[in-house]
Amino acid sequence: MFGLTAENWELLFQGLLLTLWLTFASGLLSVALGIIVGIMRSAPIGLLRSIAAGYTELFRNIPLLTVLFFAYIYFGGRAGITLDAITTAIIALGVYTSAYVGEVIRAGLLTVSKGNIEAARSQGMSFMQSMRYVQLPQALRAAIPPLGTLIIALLKNTSLASTITVADLLFRADLVTDRTFNPDVLLIAGAMYVALTLPLGALVSVIERRWAILR
Amino acid sequence: MAVQAQEVRAARPGFDWWPVLRVLLQIVGVGLFLVLIPIAFGMEWRNFERIFTKATSLRFLSLGLIATVAVSLISILLSLPLATGLALGRLSRIRWIKLPCVAFIEVIRALPLLLLIFYINLRFPGLNFLAPVLGEPTTEYFGRAMQIVFGEKGIAVIIALTLYTAAVNAELLRSGILSLDRGQNEAARSLGLSYWQTMRKVILPQAYRRTLAPLIAQFTILVKDTSLGSIIGFIELQRTARIIYENDYNPLEALYVVAILYFIVNYLLGLTSKFIERRRPSVQLKPIETG
Repeated sequence: MFGLTAENWELLFQGLLLTLWLTFASGLLSVALGIIVGIMRSAPIGLLRSIAAGYTELFRNIPLLTVLFFAYIYFGGRAGITLDAITTAIIALGVYTSAYVGEVIRAGLLTVSKGNIEAARSQGMSFMQSMRYVQLPQALRAAIPPLGTLIIALLKNTSLASTITVADLLFRADLVTDRTFNPDVLLIAGAMYVALTLPLGALVSVIERRWAILR
Repeated sequence: MAVQAQEVRAARPGFDWWPVLRVLLQIVGVGLFLVLIPIAFGMEWRNFERIFTKATSLRFLSLGLIATVAVSLISILLSLPLATGLALGRLSRIRWIKLPCVAFIEVIRALPLLLLIFYINLRFPGLNFLAPVLGEPTTEYFGRAMQIVFGEKGIAVIIALTLYTAAVNAELLRSGILSLDRGQNEAARSLGLSYWQTMRKVILPQAYRRTLAPLIAQFTILVKDTSLGSIIGFIELQRTARIIYENDYNPLEALYVVAILYFIVNYLLGLTSKFIERRRPSVQLKPIETG
């Protein structure tokens, strides 16, 4: 197909699988960290709020590529532990995206009505209890459509992992391009990315519309 | 608690020192942060010293900063008319105008930017068309900067960033146009203005005004995305970090310095966005920032 041998197609599909794994793993990490950041940003303690705000501003204002290179070099011998490129990429992507997830969670927490929080607190719940049983479930629900958008962006961002020798879809496409001297291989990889992101985007907008009516 | 404290402060006469103290505290906080990161990651002072005392390193860094800012500005300026055209095209009732615009916007937005840069760089080798104008490779500062920005790689990055930003901003402008009251369009048309007159004099000025803050937020992302040019060998900030550390073996320190430079540029952009938002609250158009 398209002048590519079966072997080259296999390379591309292996890359696709790794791209999906990177998205899944770093997505999970970013949501876990992002929830912590989001809660810290609305915590009653000023210092926690400042730390979380600093973290968010830092990662929103520096390029992902710089973060990736930094992590690659740091975990490539400078740190106490040495990690392989894939793990490093997952950590860097997850940490970077968590700043954005944190913002989404914070916006979600702001949609919870004040009466809800006051009711929870006057029932004798602590801040964390009210967060866990009352605020966070509602915030997460409000945050799901924007989270979907973030996951799509993350899927596209995983392509940067190819720069630190992670053999993802873009890396494989580049490899096959070098083998076949045909830059249009990149278009095939591009079509694969589009085939992943467009349905995801459609799904997000469906969820958005459904839940907007329900609320 | 916080509300009570504010009331007490407001009731107290005299100079309001609180905002000043807050800014000072913020500066101290940022400074602390800047010092803590190198300590946490075990960076060494002499490696920083090597960057700041070497004339070639400083020259590289400043050239990289110029290239990053120049490419961002050029892409911003080129992307705006393209984005406007795409937004109007997508809103058009004529199918042969609408469909290509929808396809372009959706496909470009769905592609990873790095792939776009790779493809343009590999597929169109004739992008060094400005080489005769730029002349022989020079070491003179301004000439070198021009050669970096308008060289083969620079043009490839500019094209990729322009296409990508235009596609994203077209969606933003479209939502801005759709958020306007229908009456605006109807009134202009019934006054006898043509379609283009209506767009130019009535609709677009309002749409731009409403989307200004999110547009600037998008440009922050554009500045960050120029770093992808380093992968194809475009010498901007990220690349200069690499050039420096491949000479001096101080990768963490060089990347940290570059990260701070990016941070400063983007933070200033973010402040303008906030400032505009405060003076002229935009409608609920703020897209989800995705980096």
